[in-house]
Amino acid sequence: MNTVEIKNLTKTFGKTTALDNLSLNIEKGKITGLIGADGAGKTTLLRTITGLLIPDSGEISALGFNPVTQKDELTPLIGYMPQKFGLYEDLTVLENLILYADLKNVTHNFEKMLEFTKLAPFQDRLAGALSGGMKQKLGLACTLLGNPEFLLLDEPSVGVDPISRKDLMKMVREMINPQTTVLWSTAYLDEAHSFDTAIVIDKGRVIYNGKPHDLGETAQEFENKVIDLMGGYKQEPSKIAENYTLLKDIRDCTVEADNLEKRYGNFYAVKNNSFCIQKGEIFGLLGPNGAGKSTSFKMMCGLAKPTNGTARIMGIDITKDPEKARSNLGYMAQKFSLYGSLTVRENLEFFASAYGIKFKNRAAKVQEIIEVFGLKDYAQQKSEELPLGLKQRLSMACALIHNPPVLFLDEPTSGVDVITRRDFWNHITSLAKKGVTILVTTHFMDEAEYCDRISLFYHGETIALGTPQELKDKAKAKTMEESFITLIKESEGE
Amino acid sequence: MKILLALIKKEIKQILRDPSSIIIAFVLPFISIMIYMYGINLDSVRVTMGIKNDDPTPEVATLVKSFGHSKYVNSIYFDNMKDIETAIVRSKIKGAVIIPNDFSTKLAKGQNADLLVITDGSEVNTANYVQSYALAIGNSWLATSKYSHSANPPAINTEIRTWYNPDLNSHYFIVPGSIAITMTLIGILLTSLVVAREWERGTMEAMLSTSVKTIHIVLGKYIPYFILGMLSLTFNIFLCIVIFQIPFRGNYLVLLLVSGLFLFTSLGIGLNISSVLKNQFLASMVAMSVGFMPALMLSGLMFPINSMPVFFQHLTRILPPRYYVSFIESEFMAGTVPEIVIANAIYLTILGLILFAAVYKNTLTRLEKENTKHLKKKAAERRVNG
Repeated sequence: MNTVEIKNLTKTFGKTTALDNLSLNIEKGKITGLIGADGAGKTTLLRTITGLLIPDSGEISALGFNPVTQKDELTPLIGYMPQKFGLYEDLTVLENLILYADLKNVTHNFEKMLEFTKLAPFQDRLAGALSGGMKQKLGLACTLLGNPEFLLLDEPSVGVDPISRKDLMKMVREMINPQTTVLWSTAYLDEAHSFDTAIVIDKGRVIYNGKPHDLGETAQEFENKVIDLMGGYKQEPSKIAENYTLLKDIRDCTVEADNLEKRYGNFYAVKNNSFCIQKGEIFGLLGPNGAGKSTSFKMMCGLAKPTNGTARIMGIDITKDPEKARSNLGYMAQKFSLYGSLTVRENLEFFASAYGIKFKNRAAKVQEIIEVFGLKDYAQQKSEELPLGLKQRLSMACALIHNPPVLFLDEPTSGVDVITRRDFWNHITSLAKKGVTILVTTHFMDEAEYCDRISLFYHGETIALGTPQELKDKAKAKTMEESFITLIKESEGE
Repeated sequence: MKILLALIKKEIKQILRDPSSIIIAFVLPFISIMIYMYGINLDSVRVTMGIKNDDPTPEVATLVKSFGHSKYVNSIYFDNMKDIETAIVRSKIKGAVIIPNDFSTKLAKGQNADLLVITDGSEVNTANYVQSYALAIGNSWLATSKYSHSANPPAINTEIRTWYNPDLNSHYFIVPGSIAITMTLIGILLTSLVVAREWERGTMEAMLSTSVKTIHIVLGKYIPYFILGMLSLTFNIFLCIVIFQIPFRGNYLVLLLVSGLFLFTSLGIGLNISSVLKNQFLASMVAMSVGFMPALMLSGLMFPINSMPVFFQHLTRILPPRYYVSFIESEFMAGTVPEIVIANAIYLTILGLILFAAVYKNTLTRLEKENTKHLKKKAAERRVNG
């Protein structure tokens, strides 16, 4: 029995082919993982199955209905969670649930749902005031209302910490019945490894459809195999690092947080945060959503004023001379924060001038960085039209254009596919070897392994600090993810 | 029905929690009425003008004096042309009257005598005032002077009687007319944002994958903003009539009814902009230029439609503010005139229905426009296969 049957499906947007003669069956009652690089066609496939997009050609049936002509019959039976799930941020948790229950014509019986998602204490809070992980849980809860026969989830775990990620998985597994089919698109290959079926798509075609365990016994093997399927990743010496010239005069303690504190009324977003990052060190800031990582980041960049304590970048006090401290800093924000309507070259030119590179050197510098970052073919393209991986690379290019000795990266790899992530970390580790100090936050626990030292952050405080191995030893855990969860739980128990 | 109610409830909660919609609906009208009440005045104004007399006879001196006595003119006496020039350049005076040295001689001979009136053409309206004041003062002086017998007495004496607005107080029509502008703002600006917001925040995509139908989405936007608009209208009328004491001679029920029709057309324009553009910034820009500006410029409120170039006269016909301004001015000042009410109401209803149909058509139930040809082909294929 198949929930979805697709034959020779093609969908184009202008000149780009999103789905290319794709054929696929999805078995009923199974959880199927959908994996693929950015722009491989995952979202287009999900939208076409739900009838939100109309294919150019080919046949498609979902739960026995044709989404093109029978969308009205199909939609009441499915639950679809788009990537940017539509929570009404100005409505409360409960009001969002009531609204979606009414739209789906189901009863207002949320007790089990609220209890399960642990959202019950927050039901009167505005959805906009929830942390990232809780928002995703609420979005999933709204999607699960009315027990849909077929669940389509578009990267529900992007930007979510490991604990909330586990919760999301548990919610789906326990709230559905054995007949429910789930199609789950994800960038986390360990997640996909735990599903019944894995579908790998690349350039709009299916390149693998089968049991994840047939590809690899462990999640790591599975990941390597998937990378091979997607064309493989060859680690080459990072050109970015090769062309990087670091300032000579560099002290040992390049980034220093000294009793950093941010208080809102009685609530401490960040409390007594102190650490010193050495030159050439990769320092990871880990912690659940809403733990205070971003607040710490903003204070260290001088974007938010600490209520107590201070931070020093290259010895310059960020509260006393934020401009000068910042000139030593390259910052890559969590969200794509470049000018979408400017071309790649124009963005770089702008940042070059914003960071104070002299006019006569500017053109040469921009040209150099375009070549080093492999952006030559895209130089005249608008940056909003780039695929996510390239956007990420451009953001990094903009952050590095003034040769800063310190680099701050706030969740640089959220929503980025596995190959792009590996490439990205290759550059990061090579830059660190050259002596660049790197402060990074991430929700990918495999990335945490690249860090020299990690600070685990929870409720605004550092609960553990050390090398990845030290943290694993402390938690008596095998993987970083396990130790993350154990250490957080332990601190809760105290 | 349950779905529609849920959507309306949601929208109302959003309106109540969003201070900007409350500001647009209640604070903005207050500010705008204040501006129209105290800031704008289309009535005759007092102007300052210079006088230079080259004809030093006692008779002409009385003419100079009558300029000083006029309640519309502040006169300043000048001795030479140069000072007048400087004063005009510095905008100290808005114009000048120069009495030539042969003025009394010519009048005494029964000839036509000339007065030189200089006006500042950079302010056309004021220039017109200067010109007509100078002429009027000159003529009335002539009628009472000793030269009156030699001038041809005017055959007809005009006596002006202004109906409906005997005080010629322009506030009596501008302030009610400003309601049209406020209603346009609420109808177009506010609603131009709301559909685009749902697209930007991803709530539209989530909503489209539930059992929601096009009619639910459309009415779910029309109804809450209609309610908000009517509340704002009531507040506006209250301000006009009770607070600012603008005389109202019409019928309240008729006023509400036709205003409701006008609001219906405005909502239609706003929702069309929003559904098509799907981007809040762009939508608000377009709303300002197709909503607010025409309401101000092309409604006949500020500038009479008859004096516009022919092209714009025709353009005003497809814009709802024209009909509403014409209605509300007559409703306030002349009372309910069935011909005006019915004609304008019919135009507004037709425009409103056309716009509603367009909103319905532009509201997508998918992420892309359905290609009807494509659908028909599909259906035909299915018939062949089935």
